[in-house]
Amino acid sequence: MTRAQPMPVWAHEMWRYRVLYLFVLPFAALVVLFGLWPIVQSIILSFASSSTAFRLSPDYVGLENFQTIFADRRFIASLRVTLLYTAISVVLNVAFALGYAVLLNSGYLKRGNTFFRLAVFLPVITPDVAGFIVWKWMYNQNFGAVNAVLGSLGLPMFGGIADTDTVLTALVAAELWKHVGFYTIIFLTNMQLLDPALDEAAKIDGATAWRRFWHVTLPQLRPAITINAVFALIQFLKTFTVVIVMTKGGPNFSTNFISYYAFQKFDQAAYGEAMAMATTLFVLVLFLTYFLYWVLERTDWR
Amino acid sequence: MNVARIPKILAYVGAILLSAVFIYPYYWMFIGSFRSTEQILTAPLRLLPEAFNLSAYGEIVSVGGASLLRLTINSFWITTASTAIAVTVTALGAYALTRRPKLLGFGLIRYGFLLTIMYPFMLLVIPVFIVMFHLGLLGTYTGIILFLSLGPIQFFLFEQFFRSFPRELIDAALIDGASELGVLFRVVLPVARPVVGTVTLITFLLNWSQWFPVLVISRTPDTYTLPAALLTMNSELGTNFQGIMALATLTTLPVVVVFILTQRRVMHGIAAGAIKG
Repeated sequence: MTRAQPMPVWAHEMWRYRVLYLFVLPFAALVVLFGLWPIVQSIILSFASSSTAFRLSPDYVGLENFQTIFADRRFIASLRVTLLYTAISVVLNVAFALGYAVLLNSGYLKRGNTFFRLAVFLPVITPDVAGFIVWKWMYNQNFGAVNAVLGSLGLPMFGGIADTDTVLTALVAAELWKHVGFYTIIFLTNMQLLDPALDEAAKIDGATAWRRFWHVTLPQLRPAITINAVFALIQFLKTFTVVIVMTKGGPNFSTNFISYYAFQKFDQAAYGEAMAMATTLFVLVLFLTYFLYWVLERTDWR
Repeated sequence: MNVARIPKILAYVGAILLSAVFIYPYYWMFIGSFRSTEQILTAPLRLLPEAFNLSAYGEIVSVGGASLLRLTINSFWITTASTAIAVTVTALGAYALTRRPKLLGFGLIRYGFLLTIMYPFMLLVIPVFIVMFHLGLLGTYTGIILFLSLGPIQFFLFEQFFRSFPRELIDAALIDGASELGVLFRVVLPVARPVVGTVTLITFLLNWSQWFPVLVISRTPDTYTLPAALLTMNSELGTNFQGIMALATLTTLPVVVVFILTQRRVMHGIAAGAIKG
């Protein structure tokens, strides 16, 4: 009697769980088609000539696209303003969210708490295009609500999105409105996990409210601060919608963030340069995310 | 006055003022859709419109070459279809990946997915244009719907749920002779109903707002959704304030209503999905 060669263990396992492979197949297909393939495509095309981008085997030009974009002073300026905008936005959003979450969790606001949470979170689920279009008109010099309010309070006019000196402030404010609810809710969720006994003990020891917050509450919120800072970093590095809706990179290229500039290049059929910018931003996101994570994990909070 | 009450009063003043700032843009948008440009120029902050002038809603029955009806149907169709596919595909995928994470290739699929969601979404859309071109899906609903069927929060919520699912229940059913399909439909799914509900809601809200993939994959305005049309209206007819506010109101209204009805579940779900991710 001849016996078949016994199947190797892994093949046996695969056969035994073949139904699980069937379950994962559509998911894997979506990941490959609309995740890995485009990412590989964008990395490949950043080394290819724009005019051949749509061929299955484009002409490769080595680092030429990268040389072009790094010799482009507008791209360097774009890089700089993207980093500046991201730094300001990350700090403001995380700080605002932390402060507001502490206020909402303080016990002073028992009645109406649901309403306050709803109000801050509503912009998060609002279509970003709609939200930013409304802000664009609210900043309007002639009939925007912002200057009307400032005027009625006797305050000086705000230049809004028309003035290079104020446009970054205007975008930071509009994006804070849109995103801060997300970070606030993450802090609030984390605060429900705090150990009230620690706070009680510190109270009995006579610690002031400020010292208790700084030395007891804040260290416990460390994971939430890290998560929020990392999410905010990724969010603001790729800022796009607010620019295409409100400023189109202007005035005078003052809000020409990298993802918008890459999109402009794509729109002008400079696919190679667009992909080189996209790849640069991707590397920047990976590097800065890792760096920020490392810094926040190492910091001594006590 | 009782001094102990001062912090409470200050807290309420702060929270009410901030909430007013967060909600005011919605109010301004809604009232603005009934007011003419001249009326707004004379009184930008008027709380009630002079008259409920519906002319703007009449003007936008057609936006940039597509009818408002078509855009609305597109929005509902694309959002609903992509939500249904996303929930089914992600649930099955996350279930299989957490059941036997060590099966050959499973680790690779998970890492491939994680890499995808790390890639800046806006920049992924551009090469997706080229992928859609190769697949022959440019300008089709299928292309838009399939692309919108992959998302991070959905995966993390399911993964978290299946990881905490008691193993013994599955093993017991298998010992009793149930098939893998039987386990999925009779043991896991009945318990998974709440998480499926939460993920469906969140995906609907997130996909309703999508506009960039819609614009990039579309070839004509016939496959635009409301937010995509709103963006083209913003670029092309930049001065029709009243019409833009009317379209913005229509774009925002469905998600605001859904969110207010389900806010607790949505906020919990999004926070949970984000924290575990």
